[in-house]
Amino acid sequence: MDAPLRAAMDFPILSVIVLLPAVGGLMVLALPRRRGELVLPVALALSLITLGAACWLLASFETGVAGFQFEEQVIWYEPWGVSYHLGVDGISLLMVLLTAFLFPIALLASTSITTRVRGYFASMLFLEAGILGVFVALDLLVFFAFWEVMLVPMYFIIGIWGGERRIYAALKFFLFTALGSALMLAGILALALTAGDQLGRPTFDFVELLGVDLGRAAQFWLFGAFALSFGIKVPVFPLHTWLPDAHVEAPTAGSVILAGVLLKMGAYGLIRFNLTLFPEATVDLVPLLAVLAVIGIIYGAVVATVQKDIKRLVAYSSVSHLGFVVLGIFALTSQGLQGGVIQMVNHGLTTGALFLLVGMIYERRHTRQIADYGGLATVMPLFAGAFLFVSLASIGLPPLNGFVGEFLVLLGSYLSLPGYAVAASLGVVLAAVYLLWAYQRMFTGPITVEANRGLADLGFREVALLAPIVALVLFLGIFPKPALDRVEPAVQGILDRIEMTTDYQVPQFGIEADLPEAEARP
Amino acid sequence: MTVNQFLILGALLFSLGVYGVLVRRNAVAVLLSIELMLAAVNINLVAFGSLLGDTLHTGHIFALFVITVAAAEVGIGLAIVILIFRNRSSANVDELDLMKW
Amino acid sequence: MFDYHALLPEFILGATLLVVLGVDLLVAPRRRWLAGAAGIVGLLAAGVPLLTLAGVGGTREMFAGSYVVDDFALVVKGLFLVAGAIVLLASMSYLRGDRYYEGEYYFLILASIAGAVVMASARDLITMFIGLELVSAPAFLLAGWRKGDLRSNEASLKFFLIGVLSSAVLLFGMSLVYGTTGESTFTRIAGATAAVSGESAFVLGVLFTLVGFGFKIAAVPFHFWAPDTYQGAPLPVAAYLSVGSKGAGVVGLLTICYSAFAGARDVWGPALWVLAALTMTVGNLTALRQSNVVRLLGYSSVAHAGFILVPFAMAAAFEGPALEEAFFGSLTYLLVYAFMNLGAFAAVIAIAERTGSREIDDWAGLARYSPTLATLLGVFFFSLAGIPPLAGWFAKFVMFKAVLGDPGNAWGVSLAVIAAVNAVIALFFYARVLKAAFMDPAPESLPEGAPLSRPLAAALVITLAVTLAAGFYPQLLAFFGEAARGLALP
Repeated sequence: MDAPLRAAMDFPILSVIVLLPAVGGLMVLALPRRRGELVLPVALALSLITLGAACWLLASFETGVAGFQFEEQVIWYEPWGVSYHLGVDGISLLMVLLTAFLFPIALLASTSITTRVRGYFASMLFLEAGILGVFVALDLLVFFAFWEVMLVPMYFIIGIWGGERRIYAALKFFLFTALGSALMLAGILALALTAGDQLGRPTFDFVELLGVDLGRAAQFWLFGAFALSFGIKVPVFPLHTWLPDAHVEAPTAGSVILAGVLLKMGAYGLIRFNLTLFPEATVDLVPLLAVLAVIGIIYGAVVATVQKDIKRLVAYSSVSHLGFVVLGIFALTSQGLQGGVIQMVNHGLTTGALFLLVGMIYERRHTRQIADYGGLATVMPLFAGAFLFVSLASIGLPPLNGFVGEFLVLLGSYLSLPGYAVAASLGVVLAAVYLLWAYQRMFTGPITVEANRGLADLGFREVALLAPIVALVLFLGIFPKPALDRVEPAVQGILDRIEMTTDYQVPQFGIEADLPEAEARP
Repeated sequence: MTVNQFLILGALLFSLGVYGVLVRRNAVAVLLSIELMLAAVNINLVAFGSLLGDTLHTGHIFALFVITVAAAEVGIGLAIVILIFRNRSSANVDELDLMKW
Repeated sequence: MFDYHALLPEFILGATLLVVLGVDLLVAPRRRWLAGAAGIVGLLAAGVPLLTLAGVGGTREMFAGSYVVDDFALVVKGLFLVAGAIVLLASMSYLRGDRYYEGEYYFLILASIAGAVVMASARDLITMFIGLELVSAPAFLLAGWRKGDLRSNEASLKFFLIGVLSSAVLLFGMSLVYGTTGESTFTRIAGATAAVSGESAFVLGVLFTLVGFGFKIAAVPFHFWAPDTYQGAPLPVAAYLSVGSKGAGVVGLLTICYSAFAGARDVWGPALWVLAALTMTVGNLTALRQSNVVRLLGYSSVAHAGFILVPFAMAAAFEGPALEEAFFGSLTYLLVYAFMNLGAFAAVIAIAERTGSREIDDWAGLARYSPTLATLLGVFFFSLAGIPPLAGWFAKFVMFKAVLGDPGNAWGVSLAVIAAVNAVIALFFYARVLKAAFMDPAPESLPEGAPLSRPLAAALVITLAVTLAAGFYPQLLAFFGEAARGLALP
């Protein structure tokens, strides 16, 4: 490692990335009440600086190296072995980038928020800080703290700036997540104390905990506690009931963040903690999780098909898409896991964009009923084009990003769980059905409702919001190698650990295939 | 010397006091019942003190403390009862029902 | 045998009591707040010898071991002094809005705190009894401070009758313990326990003592007086009762169980397990259906007493470090709870003055017209609910960690599960108040309330600072818990 790079390693870049939005939140709160027009620029500036820092992180991230980079560790509470330990590997790197990328867009999409603007933007920035913290924390207690921190601003964002049934949705979201956290807290404590028995001192450090032998029974309990908490967040069927309510009632930017990043926290937790800390339980519970994932894929798709409310439709499509992610994760193959991670990013981009689009049309017509639209393509060609593009990406049409993820997931799960993979591919078909049917009803044909005749097409700001997402969707679809290269070592490390600690063998195609190339024929 | 008769007396007095607290409605009567319980404690303490032949006379001293503190508390208690009686012309505890869960 | 240095805090408090009375006599009615200020100065002055004693270190025993100043006592005394100062700050504006006496109020609060300070050092049945009565007796009067208010009268009488009843039960228990062991000093009772541990009279004595303290800390099923008293009493007094008076009860329970009844852990351990489980569950469930914020806080403080008892309850099953951890857990929880609950009450006082109501529904839209107060309320309520990065999460964490001290113990695990469920239930009612304040629309005509007074603002700032700092940097309060854990090992 050359000298400048080492200096770069010593700079606490991760802390800076986590703290920048929090500082921004405080700055927004400190703005005088009369200078309301400054709120958005300040918030946007801070989130853009965060994005810049995240890009710098990406640039100096060493590809092809397993393990964590940019580690920072400061003793926090010594008697329990708690330390403020941060670090990123390929998986968390992508999540950090996704978060930092979506937040400026979400903030810019919030111009329709007119009440209590400072509180709103401060909440969004605190939310960003909490989410980023979750993705970079390597100490379970720190992870838990960030996990809970994220809860409060989201509660307010849904509850104050949401739709009609916002309070019900906010409380439901709050309680589901809190229930999960309570279980996870118990799991974390039990884990730390078991480690204490073996090491002679308790520890919450993720890296140290990897070296602890938990025993079979304990693994099952702990897996259950963690998986329930993460499963609520993902959400895994049948823990998903909070999601449609929260999505529908949240303001546009809230939905974007909720679908784009928050759900990923659950999937990320499953990969980071369940797979690595409890490998035996993981291997044994694969059938259960895979069944739930497939049920989620098909159930989400079917329910989405019959929705009359476009925002609800997108919300249920999330259940389906996240099912793919979970299936990919628990396929326990290199392709499946990589596909799952890539699919997390893809879903963040496409579903985020879909929610943005729904928000844009809602701002014009104040209805989300599909039946209230029809023939929009004639008055809003740009909007229709964007909607179609994003829908196709979401369906998984090559050469857009959704294809890469779904293809890898199906490939990976076909290796280890062929039956499930076949059932899941039904989800791809259904996705085409519900999205294209919705498109057809809303955009094609003659204009059926007079009120739609005078609708304005996308403005400059709205195009600017969508353009970066569209560009990324295309880029990741045509050239996913940079992302996969960074994920691959991390995924391989996880699978190696599972192979080492259990008698599970990761299935391969006939010969040892070089993975990034195996998929690169979209 | 045996203390059993004193202890039985103490236990009886204590139980009588508890009974009084539970069934009497007048606040003053409740207060008196509590005094009975305290008297039971004193009997116990003095009896134990004599039985143990404690050279420090802990039991007796304890009883003196209890008597003193009980006197002070009765002062406070009667003040509160008088206050209530003035405000609502009744000192029945079961009429105190402004606050319910 | 008379260690003036060790007794200096008590002497200073005694002198402060006289000074407060004198100031009250000498100054004009408009300047009665000077008496309160003198009280705060006295409380802080009494804290100085605590620091010097901590600096010298070591355990100082007086009066044949019945009065002990060790690290535990110092920490707890410090807590009561600080809590007392915060309560006085929070009282000043409240009292001036009232027509009732002012100087005497400060005097009684200080007297009660003096009792709590004595409790911290009491290692003898008689001393503990005196300390406890000194805590309670002024509190009876304080609860009825608003003489013309029927609710305040009622609060006072309920509190008084239950208080005296619990004292009688406690004393009966103590008399049996004294009779069976022949001792009244804790260390010597512990020494004599082995010979009598099976005797039913002794067991009965221990249980009666527990019940007596159960009333004092408002543990279910001895809790029913607490919400009524909190609701009827003047708000700062309710704050004091939920922290000072309850804290004194917890401290008494901790000392008497861990030192005097160290050999009878198999008696009080299971009993406390039941008490803890009941207290958490009933407290939280009843809090769910409250419409009055003060009553809600009353039940919440009942529930928190349950959380404090949780680590304690497993003492019978634990040995060595795990036992120490349990003691540390209860004490640290108390320290954190004291600050965040005082903060919550201070915020409620401020908001009640602003809105003129204590009903949750009347606080609708508070965030619209008074965002600062609403934010403060949010911080303290979320802290009570245990959301990081506020101090409350650390308390919850200590509690869970202590009760899971032996992961294989089914009783510990099941109690932890009960506690976890309760933590979620608690979130619900705290969130409900915040929902009203932040999400409900503000009324058409905004209530005309007094602006925030400076002493109350000071109380809010202090509690806020501690609640935030201890959340980010748990050592702040854990340090004191650590310092005091020595008592746990007999």
